[in-house]
Formats: sequence, C-alpha cells, structure tokens
Amino acid sequence: MTTRTRAAAPPAAPPPAPSPSRRRRGDGATPVARGVWPLLAPAMAVTVALVVLPVLYTVWLSLSDRRRDGTNAGFVGLDNFARMVQSPEFWNSVRVTLVLFVVCLLVETVLGIALGYLLSIDVPGRKVFQGLMLIPAITASVAVALVWMLIYDPTLGAANQILTAVGLDPVVWLGDPDIALWSIAIVDVWQWTPFMALIIAAGIRSLPAEPFEAASIDGASGWRKARHVGLPLLMPVISVAMLLRTVDLVRFFDTVYIMTQGGPVDATNTLNVYGYRAAFIDQEASYAAALQLSLLLLVVIMAGGFTLWRRRRNSDR
Amino acid sequence: MTAEATTASRRRLVQVYALYLLAALVFFGPVLFMLWSAFRRNVDITGSIFTIATPLTLENFTNLFDRFVFYYYIRNSFIVAGGSTLLGLALGVPAAYVIVRRGAASIGFLMLLARMAPGVLFVLPLFILSVQVGAPSNNGLNFALLIAAHLIITLPLCIWLLVPFFEDIPLSLEEAAMLDGCTVWQRFRHVVVPLALPGLSVAVTLSFVFSWNYFLFALALANADTLPLPVIAFNFIGQGSSDYGGLMAASTLISLPALLLTVFAQRWLVRGLTGGAVK
Repeated sequence: MTTRTRAAAPPAAPPPAPSPSRRRRGDGATPVARGVWPLLAPAMAVTVALVVLPVLYTVWLSLSDRRRDGTNAGFVGLDNFARMVQSPEFWNSVRVTLVLFVVCLLVETVLGIALGYLLSIDVPGRKVFQGLMLIPAITASVAVALVWMLIYDPTLGAANQILTAVGLDPVVWLGDPDIALWSIAIVDVWQWTPFMALIIAAGIRSLPAEPFEAASIDGASGWRKARHVGLPLLMPVISVAMLLRTVDLVRFFDTVYIMTQGGPVDATNTLNVYGYRAAFIDQEASYAAALQLSLLLLVVIMAGGFTLWRRRRNSDR
Repeated sequence: MTAEATTASRRRLVQVYALYLLAALVFFGPVLFMLWSAFRRNVDITGSIFTIATPLTLENFTNLFDRFVFYYYIRNSFIVAGGSTLLGLALGVPAAYVIVRRGAASIGFLMLLARMAPGVLFVLPLFILSVQVGAPSNNGLNFALLIAAHLIITLPLCIWLLVPFFEDIPLSLEEAAMLDGCTVWQRFRHVVVPLALPGLSVAVTLSFVFSWNYFLFALALANADTLPLPVIAFNFIGQGSSDYGGLMAASTLISLPALLLTVFAQRWLVRGLTGGAVK
C-alpha cells in the first residue's frame, strides 16, 4: 500500500531506487524477462567486490586487533567498540557531526525555499541563471575549501576585510574553537543552498494552480496562501531535497579535512574526519574500523528515519 | 502559480533582478574571487580586496607548470577519471537497463547504498589491500587501484543517472525488435543504447567530473607518482601557505571541467544531480 501511495505522489520521483523498479514488477513478462544475467552480473560482481567485501572486512577489522606493523592479533570481541564509547573524543565527534548536520540542513532548507521561490518566478534569463546556480555545488570541494581558506585568512582574508570595512571586529574564522564549526557550516550552506533551491523551484513550478485560486476566492492573502496551501503541497519535494542533502552531509569530508583537519582542539572533528585520522594518522586500523562502522550506522539511521518520515507524510495526504 | 508569474509587472521584474544580483554576489562571488585571484600577483592577493585595479598575470599558472610539473598531475587525473568513467559506463549501462526492465530492486538498493555510504568506510580496506598487493610501489597497480576505487563513485552514479532515461524508452519498440527475432543483446545494442544516447552523454560527463573532483581516495591511496590534481593542491598548503596565487591557479585548473560543464550543459546537470527528482 505504502509503495503505491509513494509512487503516485506526483512531483516526487523518490530517490530510493527500489520504487520505480517495483512498479514494473507487476507488469508481468516484459520482453527482457530472460537472458539478462550477462548484462547484470558484471556490475553486481564489482559492487560486491568494491562495496560489500570492504564493509565485511571493516567489520572483521573492528572485531580484531590489527597492529601498526600489519600483523593481526586476532579476535578481540567488542573491545574496540568499548574503547570507542568510553572515549570523549568519540562523543565529541558524534556531537560535532550532528550539530553540523542539523544546522546545515535547516539553514539550507529555509534559505533554499526562499531562493527556490525566487528561481521559480518567470522572468527572461531565469533558466540561465538557474543553471549557473549549480556552480558552487559542482566545483571541486578541494577548490571550494582552498578559496574559502583564502577568504577566511585572519589577517589578509576578504571576510575580515569586509567586516572591518563596515566597522566590525575581525574574526579568527578557522582558528577559534568556538567559531570554526560555524565557519565550516557557512561553506556548506554556501555550496548547497542553490542545489536545494533548484529542486524546490522545480517543485513550485509544477504545483497546480487551482488550490491557489480557490484560496484567493476565499480571500486568503499571499503569505497565507504560501503558508497554508503552497508549503503543504511542496512537502514531498522539500523532503526529497532534504533526503539528498542528508545523505551528502553525513559523508561531508573534504572541506572539513582540508580546512581544519578536525581542529582547532577537535572543534570540527566530525565522525568521518575522526575515523580517517584514526586510520591514517594514528594508524590504529581496528579502532578506526569501529569508528567508521558507527558512521555507517549513523547514515543508515538518518536515511532510514527520513524515509519513514517521508512515507508517513505522503500516506497522510 | 505560473500564470501569476508570467504576468509579472515591470516593478516585479526589477525586484526579481535585484534579488538575482544579490544571489549572484553571494553564490558566484567566491568562485569569481578564485578565478580573479588566480590571475593576480601574490602581493595583490594579500592586499586589499577593494583595490580592483591591479595588474593581471599568468605567473601563477606558469609557475605550476615550471616548478611543480603540473602536466603530470593533470595527466594522472585524466587517467583516473577517464578510466573509472569508461568502466563505470561499461558496467552501469547494461545494469541500469536490467534494473528498469526487469525490476531488479535488490541490486538497485545495493547501488543506492553505494551512493550513500561514506567514502571513509572504503578507504581503510582498500589501503590495506593496496599495501598487500604492493600497489604503493608500482604505478600501474596504483592507477588500477585508484580507478577501481573511483568506480565506487562512478558506477552507482551512472546507474542512478541512466535509470530515468531508460524508463522513458517505450517498451513497444523493444517488443517489435523481439518479434523480428533479436536477442536481448541485439535489442540492447541496436534499440536501447541509441535511444538513450542523451542519457549516456550525461552519465559520461557527470561521472568524469565527479571522479575528477573526488579527493578522499587519492589522498589515502595514491603514491607520489600517481597523485591527481585535488591532492596535489592540498599538499601545496603545507609547502607554502603564503602562495595563495599558486593555490588559486591550481584550484582554477581543478574546477575547469566542472565550470565548463555548468556553462555548456546546465539542463543535464540539473536533472543529473537531482536524479530525476526534478524534470
């Protein structure tokens, strides 16, 4: 039942891959019902080799004790996980990950709706402008991180020059533990708000006109129409955009690692930066494996929770 | 909504363009700043940003090629991104087709998982493997490993991009081909692939750019001779953080494929990045 409702929701072609295919399954025999294995098998083999096996190997690593010299002292049970949950650094990194996630997602959604509305208005040149809006999202995150480091430079950077020009005090953007996380959040918001806006703009443009006309006849003001008619109709699209961002935000690595490497004093040490550092700087493979599995768990919880929330929303309508 | 918008009055038009200008300033500003800085002398970059009239120079770029053999890293990036794109396509096109026509939901889910999973998760096992097979001291092996690692990005991306294109191909065309006695492979080769060519070009360009931009795998897995552009730019920071001109020139080079893509292929890009959430 839920699948059917989801598939029927008009503007939201949901990203979870199973639904479009499941829809076709009921069609019975399609002309390609037989002899498809040779087409599918290579991709499947590669996926198993590159995705499934590494994850299984990570599980084994996390349950054993791999030493720095490359030898493995064997099964140690949940020791690495015990060490993890007792480590304040771990809980700090969970907190940092969640704060960054919540702040970025909320700000990007709110700003994305505003910008999306702007991008949905029909004026000459709209399409070109809309396309160019993707420049931040598709620019290599290394380049993004480097240019923002220049902007954030405490003495020479553009950000502080602008602040002092308008009479404010300069800020130590990346060097102050109380500020660094927000500086990084700004970069992510800058990079991904237009992407949100684009999805939402397309959603706005596909809204039916009738509910708005009906609301006008009832004497609703522009704001009330947007709040009580537009926003509920847009929810499926907004939630798709939020899901896409959720997935990427948890993976968020490059910008943080390049700009701060998790510092100062662990202030920006997200779970994946912590996991990377444990593996490649501290060279504690087994402990790093435990950290990385906890990250995977976090991804699954977030994506799963989000999918459930969307499903319930959509079947309520 | 649309009807309301098409009758936008002149005043509204001015308002919209004013907001466009503001949005452009915010969202294009840093990228333009990067491009501009790449052509300025270091003295000027570290001076006031309000001094617009400074001499422009190609020095930052020529330095990259003279002192840091940048050709080499560009070549490396081409090998890795090109190789993983071609492989991703070769494996992904048939798989996407089967997923659409046959409804192989489980493999579709596996692909989604691959797209969602944090790269950090794969880096450690791949690194241990790379040490065991001796990849860090063998350039050929190291390239092969990097290409394979980047498949984790390009293969799910190809499938994700191609599924909506294959869904648009009418089943009746294939049925006709089947009546003519074509095998699955022939139908795929002569009916499906030609019709999906636009989708294929989207998949090629986006896979290439994503693989080109990707940082993490090469950071952990590449050896000194196989380093691609993003990592070499990152290594710059340690060597001389005052050389902002060099950093911005390197950033510009890294961003070039993506910038060209945005300028020339906007419509594809929107569709590709949002995976059919936006038509």
